Parts: sequence; C-alpha cells; structure tokens
Amino acid sequence: MKRLCLALTNWSHALLALPLVLAAFAAGAQEKPIKIGVPTAVQLQVGRDTLTAIKMAVDEINKKGGLLGRKLEYVTADETENPETGISAIKKLVSDEKVDVLIGGYTSGVTLAQLPHIASSKTIYLGVGAASPSITAKVKNDYDNYKYIFRVGPINAAHQARALVDYISHFVIGELGYKKIAIVGENAKWVQDLVPVLSKGAKEVGADIRLTELFDTQTSDFSPLLAKVKSSGAQYMIVVLSHGSSDVFAKQWHDAQVPVPYGGIDVKSMDGDFFNRIGGKSISEVAANFAVRAPLTKKTIPFFDSFKKASPNYPVYTAFFAYDAVFLYADAVKRAGSFDTEKVIKEIEKTRLEGIVGEISFDEFHDVQTGPGKANLIFVQWQEKGERAVLYPKELRTGNFILPPWMRK
Amino acid sequence: MAAFKKMDKLSGAGGVLALVSLALLPVVFSGSYLVGVLTVAAIYGIWAVSWDFMSGLTGRENFGHSLFIGVGAYAAGFLNGQMGWGPWWSLPASMLVATLFGLLLGVPTLRLKGPYFALAMLSAAVIMQRLMLIFWEQTGGEEGIQDIAPLIKNHLHYYWFVLACLGVTTALLSWLARSRWGLILRAIKGDEATCMAAGLPVTRYKIISLIISAAFAGLGGALYAHYQLQVSPQLFAVVMSITIITMVYVGGIGTIFGPVGGALLLTLMTEGLRNFGEWRLMIYSLLLIFILFFLPNGIVAPIWKKIRQAWPAGAHQGRHTDV
Amino acid sequence: MEILIYGAVTSAIYAMLAVGFTLIFGVARVLNLAHGSFYALGAYGTYVLTSVVGLPLWLAALLAIAGVALFGVVVEKVLIRPLRSSQLGVLMITLAVSLVVEQTLFLVFGSEYRNVPAFVETKVSLGGVDVAGQRLLTLAVAGVAIGALYLFIQKTRLGSAILAISQDAEAAKYMGIPSDRIFSLVMAISASLAALAGILAGPFLSVQPSMHLLPIVKAFAIVVVGGLGSIPGSILAAFMLGYAETFVGYQFSTSWTEIVSVLATLLMLIFRPAGIFGKRSAF
Repeated sequence: MKRLCLALTNWSHALLALPLVLAAFAAGAQEKPIKIGVPTAVQLQVGRDTLTAIKMAVDEINKKGGLLGRKLEYVTADETENPETGISAIKKLVSDEKVDVLIGGYTSGVTLAQLPHIASSKTIYLGVGAASPSITAKVKNDYDNYKYIFRVGPINAAHQARALVDYISHFVIGELGYKKIAIVGENAKWVQDLVPVLSKGAKEVGADIRLTELFDTQTSDFSPLLAKVKSSGAQYMIVVLSHGSSDVFAKQWHDAQVPVPYGGIDVKSMDGDFFNRIGGKSISEVAANFAVRAPLTKKTIPFFDSFKKASPNYPVYTAFFAYDAVFLYADAVKRAGSFDTEKVIKEIEKTRLEGIVGEISFDEFHDVQTGPGKANLIFVQWQEKGERAVLYPKELRTGNFILPPWMRK
Repeated sequence: MAAFKKMDKLSGAGGVLALVSLALLPVVFSGSYLVGVLTVAAIYGIWAVSWDFMSGLTGRENFGHSLFIGVGAYAAGFLNGQMGWGPWWSLPASMLVATLFGLLLGVPTLRLKGPYFALAMLSAAVIMQRLMLIFWEQTGGEEGIQDIAPLIKNHLHYYWFVLACLGVTTALLSWLARSRWGLILRAIKGDEATCMAAGLPVTRYKIISLIISAAFAGLGGALYAHYQLQVSPQLFAVVMSITIITMVYVGGIGTIFGPVGGALLLTLMTEGLRNFGEWRLMIYSLLLIFILFFLPNGIVAPIWKKIRQAWPAGAHQGRHTDV
Repeated sequence: MEILIYGAVTSAIYAMLAVGFTLIFGVARVLNLAHGSFYALGAYGTYVLTSVVGLPLWLAALLAIAGVALFGVVVEKVLIRPLRSSQLGVLMITLAVSLVVEQTLFLVFGSEYRNVPAFVETKVSLGGVDVAGQRLLTLAVAGVAIGALYLFIQKTRLGSAILAISQDAEAAKYMGIPSDRIFSLVMAISASLAALAGILAGPFLSVQPSMHLLPIVKAFAIVVVGGLGSIPGSILAAFMLGYAETFVGYQFSTSWTEIVSVLATLLMLIFRPAGIFGKRSAF
C-alpha cells in the first residue's frame, strides 16, 4: 500500500510537468485563428442552416485576408432542445475548445439555461434563434455580468406579437374582413411571452378572439383542437408554432378540411420544402418569415443565391442572422482595433450593419431593433405548386390571397 | 458471518485510492471542461449508488428513480431560485422532500410484486413531469427554474465537495449493504415468501430501503441543481431513470461500488463521443447493446473481483463469495 | 359526437399496439421496449417503398409489414433469447435496440417529418362531424386485424399452442409444443400489428425518428390496466384509455391527456395490480 501511494505521488509529479512543456511548445506556434463557437440544434434544419450560413460568412472573410490578419474558424456543439445538453455544449465550447465568440441558439429555454455559464466565462454571445425577451432582460437587470449577451435575431417575442397584431388589423380584418379569430400556439416559453401581448393588441384593433389555446409541444393529434376551433365560430386561425409538429398540424387541418384558414408564426413552415414534404397540404397557410428572395437590402438576393449553392434548401431564419452576426462581429473588432472583449462589446453596441433582412442595430439592452428598414416580419402565403407569395406588408406584396381549396365556391 | 459485517481492508483501500485518483485527475489534466464532466459523472454516481442500494439489493427495480432526483432538484430550485434561501439549505431540504416522496409512493406500491412496482414508479415519475409542465406558471414549465446560485463558486472545489459526497454515500450504503440490513434485503430478493413466513416485516424493510435510496437521490438532485444553476422537467424523464439503471447494470448490479464505475464510464463515453457529431448516440447505443449482451454482469465489478483474486494477500481468498 | 368517432380511432390504434405488446409478454414473458420501433419502422418502411422505390401503396404496405415482422423475429432470436433469464436484461436490450433504430432512422432520414401517403384521401362526414377518410379506414382495419387474431388464437391448433405456452411454459414443452418456434411466430404477429398501426396512422400522425416513444408508453399503460397477458383486457383498456384521452382533450385541454393514461396506470397498479382481466397478480 505504501509503495503504491509513493508510486502514485511520483507519477503525479511527473505528469504535472507535462502541461508546462506543452505550453512552451504552444507559445512558439503561429498566430492562432479566431474560433467561433456554434451552439445549435445540429439535428434540425435551423441548426444546419446556422452552420451553412456561418461557413459562408467565414469563407468570405477569410478570402479577403481574415480578420486583423487572423483566419476565422468555427466549431459546433450540439445543444439539442434540452437545457442539460445545452449547458454541457457551452462548457465544451468555452472550456475545452476555448472559443473567442459564440454564435448560435434556437430554443429560448436552452439559451436561458446557458446564460449564467456564458456570463461566467466572459465570452461574447450573439444569439440567432431564440425569441424570449427574458434573455435580454438579463442584460437590463445585471449589465456587468451579462453584457456579453446580444440578440442578433429573431426580433423578440413581444415585437413579433406586435407584428402579428399589425397583420391582423390591416390584413385579416382590414382586407379579408375576418373579425373573429382563434389563437393557437405551442406551450413553449416564447409563446407564453407572446400570446398575452398578442391578445391585448388584437382586441385593441377590433378583433373578436373566440378561442385561445396553448397545446403541448409533443401533441401529435390535433383533432380535438381543430374541432374546437371550428365550433368556436372563428373565421381565421392565428398560429404560433416553432418546436411543435407543424407538419402534422397542417396535414390534419387539410385532411379534415377545416373551414378556417390559418396563418401566423410557423417556424417549420419557413422551410423551403415544407409544402412539398407534406404533399402540398399547407396550401393557403400564411407564415411569417424574415426574408424572401426579394431585394429587402442589397445583400438579400445574393445571399439567397449563394446559400442555394451551398445547401439543397432555401435558408431558414437562423441563417440570415448567423451570417450577419459573423460580419457584425468582424466589423466591431475592426473598429475596436483589437479582440479585447470589453472594447469589442462597446463597438457591437454601436452596430449599424446592412444585413440580409434589413439594418441590424441594437437597443440599450442588446436586443435587435425592429421598425422600418430594420428586421421585420413578412407574411408569405403558400400557393399552388408550392409557390410563395408575399401578402403583407403591402409594399412588398407579390401576390393575392387565396382560400383553401375546399372553401372556394 | 463476522467477516461479512466488516468492510474488508482491501475494498476500503481500493475505494480510497479511487477517490484520490478521481480528485487528482482534473488537477493533472487541467481545464474546467474536464472538471465539469467529472462533476456530472460523480453526481450520476450518487444516483446510481442510491438506486443500486434499493433495487440492486432487493431486486425490486425502480423505474421512477428520476422522481426523487427531480423533487430534490426542484426543492433546491424553489428554495434558492425562487425564494432566495441560501444554497446550503438545499441539501437537507432536498433529502427531506425526497424522503417524503419515497414514503408517499413506497407505502402503496411496495406491496406489489414483480414488474408492477417498476411500472408504478415509472408512472409516478411521468405524472410528476407532466405536472411540472401543466402548472408552468408556478414551476417555470419547460425551461424550469433559473438563477440558482452555485454552492461553491470555484469549480474544482465544488468538484471535490461532490466527490466527497459520493465517497460518503458509497461508503455508507456499502456498509449498510454488508450489515444485517443488507443481508435481509438480499434475502427478500431471493425468496420473499420465505422471509415473510419467517416473520420478517418485509414491506417495512423495503419501504425503509426505498426511503434511503430516495434521500440520496434527492441529495444528488440538489447538488446537480447548484451545478447546472437551473432545473427543468427533463430531470423527471424516463430517459433519466433508464440512464441510471444502465450505469448500474454496466457497473455491476448489487455491488454498490460498481455503479460508481458505471456512472463514470458512461458519462465519459457520452461526452467523449461528442467528436463523432451526429453518430454519437448511435455509437453509444451500439456499445450499450454490446455491453449488455456480452457482459451481463457489468464491467466494473467483475474487473474488481479479478483484481482481488489476483492480489497476493491470499488470506482474503475464499472468505467472501461476492464483493 | 366527435368524441365518439375520434375516440374510436385513437382507441383502435392503441388496441393494435397493446395487443401485440401483451401477446409477446403473455407468451414469452418479454417486456419488449422495442415494440414502438416496429410501429416506427412500419411507417418509415412504407414511406421508403413508396417515395424512393415507387411501389404502389398497398404493395409497399405489405412488404413493410413483412419486413418488420422479420426484423422482430431476428431481434427475438439473436438478442432477446440469450438474455431471457434476466427480465431486466431483456428490458435493457430491447431498449438499446429501440435507440439504435431511432438513431439509424435519424441518420438516414433526418429529423424532419416524413410524409407517408394515405390510402384514402377523402373527407367523410359522419353525423355532422368531419373526419379524414384515413382515420375511418384505420378503425376498420384495426377491427378486422384484431378480430382475425382473436379467431386465430381461439380456433386454430397453432392458436391453442400459443395459449398453452402462455399459461404454463413448462407443461407446454412436455406436451411437445415447440416453444422456440412459437415465440418467433408470436413476435412476428406482434411486430406486424405494430407495423400495421404505424402504416395506418402514419399519414395523419407524426412520422419522425422518435415516434416510437409515445406508443410504447401508451401500450405499457394499456396493458397494465387491461392485465398483462390478456388480449380482451388490452382491447377493453385500449378503448377505455382512448376515450378517456379524447374526452379530456375535447373538454379540457390537450395538456392533460398524457396524465390520463399514466394516472390510470398508477391507480390501477395500486388498487388492482392484476388489471381488469389479469389472471395472476405475481410472476
């Protein structure tokens, strides 16, 4: 036993010396590349598109000589939709990979869980997928610890609610004449944040809300829900969906020929192949998007075209913001003239970047701003053969509203 | 029989050596990532050991262990995250809450035989998870409770604390397992009817061992909450219970110390496979099938047995039939 | 009225899943956690054969069922049988199998939902309720399939052999009944029923790699309530649970439907562990 302990002690001493030797080697090595850590749900479309977009941005910057003479690199860690995995993904990126900046995110719940760990590692985090206002509320309540957190996109749930209210007031009520609406959403944090703002706003613009229901994200049988919507007398159904089964929802709505058209925020419906993969059953659904292949800014159409070359599908929303995030980070670093975190944060706060969906700028709590010329929701409808037409806002309209096939006279 | 009571020196020495090596590991291979992984592994170790104490010894497989973990963690969440009590209160509180749940569930279900107890516990855990989601306004719903304060800010020191807890838990439960208590529990596994005929209050023993198992699981839950700094309903998931049972299986059921090795091995494997990207879970599942198929007695316990048999101190041979 | 019809459809799917599950348990004492995987593979198999290979739907469905049945038999022979001495071992390995299947499906098909074509695309109006034709078809087919199974077990020699083994495996062996072959047959039947459920329900429920989880939880609940090993019990319990869930979903909210089945399980276990028709309370 004594001999064993002695042996162990000797070994520990020997092994302790090893890191010192390695460090000496490392110091002599070349100028390190800048590492971007990407925590995202790699198994989902939002995750894959985040990565494709980051790769595109990184390649472009590297081709022009990199950032302050250093090349950009990126590494990903799967955060899934589960907070525990999300936290360990952050730890892997921050402690093991030692990344310089984090760009990613999708599920608000996961991001919220990751925040304290990101903050304690003092790494800048540029969110591209999570909409809950609670994320940037942390910046407001505890700036010193949480100043590293920024949201590049999407616009937060409260903004989205107001955008929906505009759509309801000007389009659903204003043009279609439907005053009676039903609000249906999944029971996730961002929806819980969004619906109260939506309900209040909708009532103020004259909507008659017949039904509000939040269903479990795991739900796969919507027949009770759809039947309730039908019997509530609603003329239009506003949906708020992201993680839940939009595919199944659309199919069941179509197969039961529910006489209530629907539209709203439906993340899965943003996928370019959504229509086709459910056999065209989402026809007449109106889904909010941040961009379509239209000249919203000088960068929009080139981005869509390059993306299509790099990936079999059109980009989903996280792609737009991930691409812009890389560039705004690079710009901030250039203006700061260094990679020092504090200096870069100050520069990021001053960002005014012409992005893909509009001008990217932050409010005082590091939340992306919305408004004319900035990031906004566009309402796009699935039409025959999988074509998409922009219906609202009017200035960007490319087509006319169609009813579901069974409702046409 | 007297030899059975004392924990023999070899096992004790082995345990101390293992603990010390584990404690030194992150010092040698520095980096807070490894410390993090090992902390989680150690907490899983506590959970696995607590499961083994009840289910491994009595043969009553508990498929709802995640329930005790979850209530312990949420107790920490409510006390510290929502009500702002100091984090150290979570430890006794979580053990208390878990014990209560153990009692609540144990009394009606432990008189069930066969797979029924397992299914009842499974159902109870699923119900708890659902309730956390349904009452989302109070419990935070899907993303649970945030802003839990860490117990010890320094990651390495916290790791050592958790390791110490693991050591104490393992030692305590091993000692109990080797005592008359453990003997009775194993007898219940063998032939419950005979025990009853012999006049033993079988159900009472089962309930008490469940409570002990629950208490330590709850403790692990609190430790976990103060490490992750948040709790979410995923803690109650069936996947959690099954992961722990797998760790016990790989380590060696009924050995108490084996599960610690199982927990370490599987946690390291899960993290270590991250480099395989999308293939991670696939490889993990295949390895699992391999282990289950070819090593039904687990890995850790049989290896330890071989080490012991090879140990030159021949006096120990033949005295103990297992551990 | 809606509750009546939708409840019936839900119950029918549950019944197909539960009957297969209880069958393999009653006969071979195997708690097959990979049962949900058969459901998933039925749906995916049909998807592949129709979209990728381009076969007509009915042929694709038949081939898919056959394929899944074969898979079930192989799993039983290769992985389950050697571990039969330990119930926990069987549970764990079937679990591992379900994980491997899920991961394979995910790696091959991706996480997005797939479209399994429906046999019937029309909408039917029944008593003022709009129902998708496919759902009614599911109800009809389920009824036929389970009815056929019941007749098979009651009326044929092979069926009696199955009954014999489920009552007393030892005695059956002494009587010369080849239990190993019967196990394979039962597994094939069990897998086929699950696959059929997947093919019928796939068009209107979700088809994605983790679709095996929910069915297995429901099947567990139903089988416990109905009595492990009892086919009539499973059918009855399936309808009870299917209707209870649908009722709760319509009257209150869908969030509570999950709890219904699980709570029912728990209560049943506490008060009457043998289930409604269970023959024995201990194993």
